Amino acid sequence: MFRILKKSLKTGVVTGQHPAAAPLEETSTSEAKEKARPFRSSLAFRAVDTGSCNACEMEMNALANPVYDIERFGIHIAASPRHADALVVTGPVTVNMEHALKDVYQQTPDPKIVIALGDCAINCGVFKGSYAVTGPVDRHIPVDVRIPGCPPRPVNILNALQELRKGSDKG
Amino acid sequence: MTETRFYDEELKVAFPLIVQDEAAKGEFSHFLVPKDLLPAITHHLHTQPSLHGRLTLLWAVDNRPIRDAYGLHYLFTLGASRSWVVLSTELAEGDRLFPSITPHIHAAMWYEREIRDMFGLIPQGHPDLRRLVRHEHWPKGTHPLKKNFPWDHVLGRQQGEHHFRRIEGEGVFEVPVGPIHAGIIEPGHFRFSVAGEPIMQLELHHFWTHRGVEKLFEQQTLTAAVPLAERVSGDTTIGHSLAYCQAVESLLHIEVPRRGRYLRSLFLELERLHNHLGDVGAICNDTAYALPHAHCGRMKEQIMQLNDKLTGSRFLRGVNRVGGVEIDLTVAQLAEVVAEMDHIEKDFSELELIIIHNASLTDRLETTGVLTERTAWDHAVVGVVGRASGLDQDLRRDRPFAAYDELPVKVVNYRYGDVRARIRVRMDEIHESMRLVREIRLKLPQGPVAVEPSRRAQAREWALSAVEGWRGEILYMVMAGENGTIHRCKVRDPSFANWPAIQQAVLGNIIPDFPLINKSFNLSYAGNDL
Ligand code: SF4
Repeated sequence: MFRILKKSLKTGVVTGQHPAAAPLEETSTSEAKEKARPFRSSLAFRAVDTGSCNACEMEMNALANPVYDIERFGIHIAASPRHADALVVTGPVTVNMEHALKDVYQQTPDPKIVIALGDCAINCGVFKGSYAVTGPVDRHIPVDVRIPGCPPRPVNILNALQELRKGSDKG
Repeated sequence: MTETRFYDEELKVAFPLIVQDEAAKGEFSHFLVPKDLLPAITHHLHTQPSLHGRLTLLWAVDNRPIRDAYGLHYLFTLGASRSWVVLSTELAEGDRLFPSITPHIHAAMWYEREIRDMFGLIPQGHPDLRRLVRHEHWPKGTHPLKKNFPWDHVLGRQQGEHHFRRIEGEGVFEVPVGPIHAGIIEPGHFRFSVAGEPIMQLELHHFWTHRGVEKLFEQQTLTAAVPLAERVSGDTTIGHSLAYCQAVESLLHIEVPRRGRYLRSLFLELERLHNHLGDVGAICNDTAYALPHAHCGRMKEQIMQLNDKLTGSRFLRGVNRVGGVEIDLTVAQLAEVVAEMDHIEKDFSELELIIIHNASLTDRLETTGVLTERTAWDHAVVGVVGRASGLDQDLRRDRPFAAYDELPVKVVNYRYGDVRARIRVRMDEIHESMRLVREIRLKLPQGPVAVEPSRRAQAREWALSAVEGWRGEILYMVMAGENGTIHRCKVRDPSFANWPAIQQAVLGNIIPDFPLINKSFNLSYAGNDL
């Protein structure tokens, strides 16, 4: 017990100890922001991997570590699509995952936001053209937010989510 | 070397019909074998105590554009000397049948099913000929790695359903899980049969993320495919790109400068560190012990930020290239790396004490998900999982690559094969990697970090390469095509070898322990499915 306390005290607060993000282009349109209005104070997202190389997943997992601590912004990860406000989709949509993606989309209650995370989800990346790939994501379901990068850094994902929920200038 | 000779002679005496290919480079002995002899000779390699061969890789090549034949190749790693033996055979003139070796070498199970799916060649006598890579909705008679299959043509779908193995009886029921999971994990399907609490059977249904990686390699040139190799399994960027580069370098007869080789080792250890740190935390987290997870997540993040600072990529992408590495480090940067290591090692050692002294955690980890040495050997399990089950193997020591011939590695080994052994292997390897990083800084020679390729690869020549990534053995077989293209690239992530073993490790455990066991294996879906 003493050891644990000592460790925690010694470590202190590490949240926010990361380099600032290089600014990305606009990731969400004003329509997307409008759609995200109900989720401004809390957003539950469900991760769907449609054939990513798993680096995008790792960066999403990093969002939960104490350095980024995404929950302090009221964002958390839902265990079922039925509890989700948003789907975060990674990967180029493989032939084998195509139906699963559509099913998940169906099962997520409206209104919902779809976030394409990483180059693969946006344009299939290095897997473009393959016989086993039917993406990108917006060929199958409507996409609201696009976060580019291979993979995008956690701080970029965080900023994109913040920007989405900040709302348009009208507030 | 002398020992290799001894094996060669013994094989030739036991099987007079096989022919040794003297042209094979010094890295392995190569034999041409008539296909009917395959079961006997592989059985001999596997069971003969003096040989003790482990099936390491099995791959097929479509040679039909040049001559009317498919090639089949079996790579074995032999007992104590860790030397390689490759057996090759040909299926000529429309012959599509080959004898299955699965009945007596269990580890061949998935390889042979994969070959059937990708090439349409049929392993006769295989006990389980259901589809593996191509799910049931893929049309009949479509085999993507045949040369006449167009790489960029998405097929239509047919009706079809996967048939799971069934256990029948009173009180037995099935629990399907996946392909999409509750957390942030890759897609895969697990089908449990349980009676009451304990798991009676687990069957995997994977390959959801099959992206056609091996076919995509064939559309690239030898020197340009490194980014694709980096994305086979994203968490193993360096491991995969290094294995790929080494194979190509041996085709192009490139000698990578010493400084380049040292830096490759350095980056490989950094990759091992951030993954192992993450895994130690994640295993604790799956027992609902969140504190180590938070600390480990923080340390992992520190290393990834360090990676980013050194190379501009948190995953070390763009570091490896054919001929060496893209990035050189200054003296100041190296000092920073070592300072960071010292800092994190102290931090981690404190955490380790907390983890080890937690009795309730130990209670969850001990005797959970046991993979016995015998089962591990039968499945030819590699890497961390193997070393936790008493298999003493590590390519950094056994077949040194990069700079490991000058950097002796202390190989970690535990015998119990439970989750606790697997977390301990990782903890010990974290210290060993940090030690290696320090040693690399002290020994790092001066000089260039890369050379330009000057020769062309001879068409149809092929090379094997192996790297001990953080998960285990990564294997690449690259065969050159005309004018610097790739005729065939076989990729083997350690996950492909280890996945089937998890079906054994969970037996008798309860389903709530499955995520914990799965996490302690921590296998890649992307690298497995290709
Ligand atoms: S975008 Fe890049 S990192 Fe993300 S899944 Fe695709 S290849 Fe991997």
